[in-house]
Amino acid sequence: MSLQVQNLMKKYGDKVVVEDLSFEITKPGVYALLGTNGAGKTTSLRIILGMLAHDGGKVLWNGAPLDPVKANVGYLAEERGLYPKYSLLDQLLYFAKLKNVPKKTAMERIKYWSDRLQVNEYVFPPKTKGKKSKANRADQLSKGNQQKVQLMAALISDPKLIILDEPLSGLDPVNTDLFKSIIREQIAQDKYLIMSSHQMPTIEEFCSDITILNRGKAVLQGNLNEIKKSYGRVNLFVKSDVDIASYIEEFGLRIVNKTPSEYHLKVQNEQQAMDFLAKLIGEKIPVVKFELREPSLHEIFVEKVGDVHEEK
Amino acid sequence: MKKSSITGWKDVFSFTLIQTLKSKAFIVSFIIFVVLSIVSMPVLSMIMNKDSKSEDGTNPIQKVYINDQVAWSNGGFIPVLSQENLSHIKFESLTEDYDTVVNRIEQEENTSVIVNITETESTFQLEFIKASNESVKESHVQTLSEALLEAFDGYRITQLGITHDQLSLIQASVTTSVTVADMNGNAVISEDTSITDSQYWFIYGILFMVLMVNVMASSQIASSVVSDKSSKVLEYLLTSVRPLAIMIGKILAMLAAVLMQFAGIFVCILISNSVTSKVFSPNGENMLTESLPSGIFDNINIVNIILCIAVVLLGMIFYATLAGLAGATVSRIEEASESLTVFTFVNLAGAYIGMGAAGVLMASGTNGFVTFALLFPLSSPFLLPGAMFVGKVSVGLSILSIVLLVIFVILLFKFVARVYETLILHNGTRIGLKELVKISKNV
Repeated sequence: MSLQVQNLMKKYGDKVVVEDLSFEITKPGVYALLGTNGAGKTTSLRIILGMLAHDGGKVLWNGAPLDPVKANVGYLAEERGLYPKYSLLDQLLYFAKLKNVPKKTAMERIKYWSDRLQVNEYVFPPKTKGKKSKANRADQLSKGNQQKVQLMAALISDPKLIILDEPLSGLDPVNTDLFKSIIREQIAQDKYLIMSSHQMPTIEEFCSDITILNRGKAVLQGNLNEIKKSYGRVNLFVKSDVDIASYIEEFGLRIVNKTPSEYHLKVQNEQQAMDFLAKLIGEKIPVVKFELREPSLHEIFVEKVGDVHEEK
Repeated sequence: MKKSSITGWKDVFSFTLIQTLKSKAFIVSFIIFVVLSIVSMPVLSMIMNKDSKSEDGTNPIQKVYINDQVAWSNGGFIPVLSQENLSHIKFESLTEDYDTVVNRIEQEENTSVIVNITETESTFQLEFIKASNESVKESHVQTLSEALLEAFDGYRITQLGITHDQLSLIQASVTTSVTVADMNGNAVISEDTSITDSQYWFIYGILFMVLMVNVMASSQIASSVVSDKSSKVLEYLLTSVRPLAIMIGKILAMLAAVLMQFAGIFVCILISNSVTSKVFSPNGENMLTESLPSGIFDNINIVNIILCIAVVLLGMIFYATLAGLAGATVSRIEEASESLTVFTFVNLAGAYIGMGAAGVLMASGTNGFVTFALLFPLSSPFLLPGAMFVGKVSVGLSILSIVLLVIFVILLFKFVARVYETLILHNGTRIGLKELVKISKNV
C-alpha cells in the first residue's frame, strides 16, 4: 500500500495556497505535515481527501486516484464538528452507516472506543431507575470529550488511511497521553497516518517522514532522522557547578541559551566539542552534564520557516 | 451528473428525517397544528350554524307598524310577505300616537317594529325603529328591510297603473356581446372559460397550501445546511458522501417532514369534519363538501391526481433546491434567514403570478396571461393543481407544464452541482448572486 501526492497545486484567484506539493508514504507509520498558521496544511489535507477541487497534481492510493468516498479514510478535522443537538450514539451510528459499516459492527466498535476513550457514560447514558435514559448531546460535552467522540467517528470504519489535523490541540495532558497511545496502536496495526501538528515533540515522537510547508510550498522534506543527521551534532548542552563562561569565550562558541546552571551552545563540529570537553577536564572543572546532539525538529522548523520569511 | 455523486443520499435522507421528526421544535409545532385542525371544524360549524340560524330561522319580528307618510300613497301600503321566515309578520298602519307606540315597543312589545316611510325630492326612505334590547337583532331587521323594499317597489309600480307586461318590459335586462365570424361568415361560439367565486377560492386555497409548504420547508432546509456548515460536521461528512448527495438527502428529508406534517393536518381535518358532521351539525351537513366548488369531484380522476402530484412535487423540489443553495451561501446559522431573501422573492413572485392568473381566470376566463402562468415553472406549481381540479386545464397543457418544470429543475440541479462543492466549504461573508455565477463559470 502507498499514498502518493504528486505536484498538488491550489489557487484562490491569483493567490497560490499550495504549490507543487509532492510526497509519498510507502510504509505504515505517521507522515507529518508541518507549517505555520496559513501555510496550507489544512488545504493540502482537504485536497488529499477530495473535498476541495485542485488546480493541478494528483493523489494516488495504491496507484489509483484516491476517492475517499470509496476508499476507507478516517479523518479528524482541525475544527471539530458534531451535531450539537443530536444524540451522540445516533451521530456515531450515522457516521458509521455513511462509511458502510454494518450496524452490528458499528455498535461493537462504538462500545469498544467509548470504553477506550472513557466516554461510555456520555455515549451510553446510564438508565435512572424508573426513568427513561436521557440521550447525551454533543453540546453537553466538554471540548476534550467532543474531541474524543470525533476521534471515534474517524476510527469507526477501521480505516487504513487516517488523516489527523491537529489531533492533540486543546487536550489536557492526561487525554494527550490517551490520544498518543491510540496513535501508537494504529501504527502498530500497520495503518497509514498523515498528521499535521504544531507540537514538535509529538511529531518527533511519532513521525518518520516530514514535510515542512511555508506559504503553500514545501521548504523541507524527507526522513526526520536523515534530516537531523544532515545538520550534524552541533548542539552542545553543558552543565557545571562553576562558571565556564571564560572557556566558552576562549573556544569562540555561540551561546544559544543560558540558564543559571546550563549552557546551550552551538559548535562547528563534533571535534570542537570534544576539544572543549578535554579542556574542561584538563582544568579540573566539574562537569555535571555534557550532551552533544542533533538539532531538534523545533529548531529545524524555526530555522527553515525563518529562512523563508527572511528571504521574502 | 455521475451516479457516484449522489451515492449515500438515502443515508443522509433517513438520518435527517428521523432527527427532524424527533426534534422538539417539530413535535411542538405538529401538536399545535393537530389541535388547531381538530378544533377547526367544530368551531367553523358553530359559526356557520349561528349565522344560518339568524338568517334562515324564523324571524322574531311579530308585528310591523307602517307609518306611511308618502303623499300619493295615503297610507295605503300594507304589504303581505310570502317568504317562509317572514310570512307570520302582521302589518298594520300606525294609527296611534307615534311616541306611545315607540314606548310600548321599548317596554312591552319588544318583537314589534315601526317603519317610517318618507319621501324627499326623488328618494324614498324606509326607516326602521326597534326595541333597544336584543329581542330583535339588526340582522332580523335587515332581512325584513330587504323584503319590504321589494314589496314597496311593487307597490309603487302598481300605484302608477303599470301592467304586469309593461313592468316586465321595463325590468328586462339589456346585455351586449361581440360575435366573431369565421372565414365562411359563421359565428364562432367561444366557450365561457371563467371560473366562479368558489372555484377561485379553491385555487387560492391550494396555492396558499403549496406556498406554506415551500416557505416552511425552505427555511428548514436552509437552516439544516447552514447548521452542518457552522457545526463543522460537513468536513467529516464529505469524507463519506459527495456534497450533492448531502444536499439531495437533506432537501428530500425536509420536504418529507413538512409533507408529513401537512398530511397529518389534512387527516386531522378530515376526522374533525367527519365527527363534526355527525355530532355538531344539526342537519348533518358536511362542512368540507359544502365549502368546495360544485362539480369539483367530476374532475378528480387518476390522471389529474398523478399530474397534480407531479407538478406539486416538482415545484417543491425546485424551490427546496433553491433554498438549499441559499443556505450554502452563508456560514453562520444567524445568517440563514438573510440568505433566503432572494429565495423568498422568487417564491413570492411565483405565488403572486399564480394569484393574479387565478383572478384573471375568474374575471375573464383563460387568456394569454393565464396560459403563461400555467406554463411558467415559477408559477405553475401554485396555479396548475387548483386550475386542473376546477377543470380549466387540459391534460396536454398540464403535461407541457410538467415537462417545462422538469427541464427547469434539471438546469437548476446542473447549476447547483457546479457551485455546491465550492459553496459547502465556504466560510466567511455571504456569497451573492454574481459570485455564484462566477463560481459556476470557474468550476
